[in-house]
Amino acid sequence: MTASGDSRASRERARGIALAAIAGVGLAIWAFPVIWGLLTSFKTERDVLAYPPKFIFEPTLANYREVLFGASSILPNLGSSLVVSVGATLLTMLFAVPAAYALARLRYPARRASGFYVLATQMLPPVGLIIPYYLALQKVGGLDTYTGLIVIDLTFSLPFAIWLMVSYFEDVPYEMEEAALLDRAGRVRALWHVILPQVRGGIAVTTIFVFLNAWNEFLFAVVLGGNRVRTVTVAMFNFISVEQTQWARLAAGAMLAMAPVILIGLFAQRHIVKGLTVGAVKGGGRR
Amino acid sequence: MTADTGSVRLEGVVKRHGATTVLHGIDLEIRPGEFFVLLGPSGSGKTTTLRILAGLETVSAGRVLMDGADVTAQEPGERDVAMVFQSYALYPHMTVGQNIGFPLKMVGMPAAQIQRAVSEAAARVGIAHLLARTPGQLSGGQQQRCALARAIVRSPRLFLLDEPLSNLDAKLRLETRLELHRLQRSLGATTVYVTHDQEEAMTLADRIAVFMEGRIVQVGTPREVFARPTTREVAAFIGTPPMNLLAGRLDGANVIVDGAALPLLARADAPRDVVVGVRPGDLRVAPRGLPAVVERVEDLGDSSIVSFTAGERLLKLKSDRPPAVEEGQAVHLAFAPDAAHLFDPQTGARL
Repeated sequence: MTASGDSRASRERARGIALAAIAGVGLAIWAFPVIWGLLTSFKTERDVLAYPPKFIFEPTLANYREVLFGASSILPNLGSSLVVSVGATLLTMLFAVPAAYALARLRYPARRASGFYVLATQMLPPVGLIIPYYLALQKVGGLDTYTGLIVIDLTFSLPFAIWLMVSYFEDVPYEMEEAALLDRAGRVRALWHVILPQVRGGIAVTTIFVFLNAWNEFLFAVVLGGNRVRTVTVAMFNFISVEQTQWARLAAGAMLAMAPVILIGLFAQRHIVKGLTVGAVKGGGRR
Repeated sequence: MTADTGSVRLEGVVKRHGATTVLHGIDLEIRPGEFFVLLGPSGSGKTTTLRILAGLETVSAGRVLMDGADVTAQEPGERDVAMVFQSYALYPHMTVGQNIGFPLKMVGMPAAQIQRAVSEAAARVGIAHLLARTPGQLSGGQQQRCALARAIVRSPRLFLLDEPLSNLDAKLRLETRLELHRLQRSLGATTVYVTHDQEEAMTLADRIAVFMEGRIVQVGTPREVFARPTTREVAAFIGTPPMNLLAGRLDGANVIVDGAALPLLARADAPRDVVVGVRPGDLRVAPRGLPAVVERVEDLGDSSIVSFTAGERLLKLKSDRPPAVEEGQAVHLAFAPDAAHLFDPQTGARL
């Protein structure tokens, strides 16, 4: 190896180390609250408030027992969150996929305008909508019902999902659909057999985003929910009261609420990568 | 099957996109079993015409007839035509076998039968060993064959090919051209082929339709189009290098170019302005004729191309002999009287 080759290799190694260090700092900043929350969830309330903070302590499962099976169990709330999130996600995807396909493909008057309208609904701050939504749901008896909360979730998840899916559909070459039409598939079967398989990565990613948004949603759930429909985010809010904040229980609840999110994230990683490679197939289309 | 099976007719087909007219009334008759090439520069309307035949574009006016029946209003799937796209449009999530079998699956053919038809079609284009792969794992040439197999698998009455060789490298293009011709002959199906490559058109076509600016300017066999181009534009488009075109004045049995009298077979009763066209292969260096200076000599081994400047003009001479002139040399150029093509300088029409 020549001297210049040596210096180049060492330069690249130094660069790799620097990049790893930057990534490490970023990861530490991101992970600290999660790790701190995890530690807190195994502490007693006394250890939580100890100063200076304790990193070494006797772990206890009492908090988990309490939030799972105790008087303030969040199990019913996890159930509520699941119903709202799954319901909102299914309905969103059911409408978003065909709507996005239409926006991406069909040529009709006001196509641009309707695309903009979809995006414009995203521009309203949710806080501004709370009171109208409350009044509207009250009129139709939709307060504190699953239907009510799911419908309200749809109003912001649907535009988001459509907008995300349109770009995936637009990436499928139009000629591929024309080929399917000539192969006698017809438009519906062309969509089913040729187009949808190519955007399945996008469908997976969008589904996950919509689910996570619904799962983590707090503002609408706290105002439009109630005693019957109380999602886990709202339930955890109840650990914070005027007299005291039960930090350890709150942390245990937060860990439980995060579990599905993390599991989905791990599962989705594969799909996201797959979604990217499907579009990259050589000869898949003209760019 | 009747004698009509595979015939195609376009009657006064007009296509407008908003205010622009892409096709100005196309009339065309394609015979059963014919290898018919739509040739023209980009933007001339040839691909639009092919897409109208496929049913992928609607017409603004006119009719499309197949086997004598009006199919103008029919959907692409109802027309029994197969198309090979320039990009091949293979389905990336399916294997080669599934790609080829897709049109059969869509008409509900039993799986065992599909498998048989797929193997047969794949063997025909030489990709029988690749059926389990996905398109992404194929080379460009193999993808092209896969697209071909998908088109031939259901024996449609009409094949449409949109510049199918343009994404292949030069060597593969020549090989595939030969195979394509053999395949078409063995299937005997009417084929409409779009290309801007006049060499492809000349070698493949039974007949050519030359498109210019949304109109068909000439229909004929490759020989006819080459030997008797009906307009100056066709003359300039067909042939490599293209035809030399010189403004001159027709006087008696001569055409006068830059003061030099060049003899013709044609005679004019009264002198008039003309454009005289001479193929590079018909031009030769002679003791008398149009004065010119050798600009550049390109020796291609088995042939040569010599560029000349004559006044403002650049002329090309093609010869199958090694060049006998040197760069910078002053010469005279001439051509056989029967080799000249005369065109009207205003309309561009052949005289």
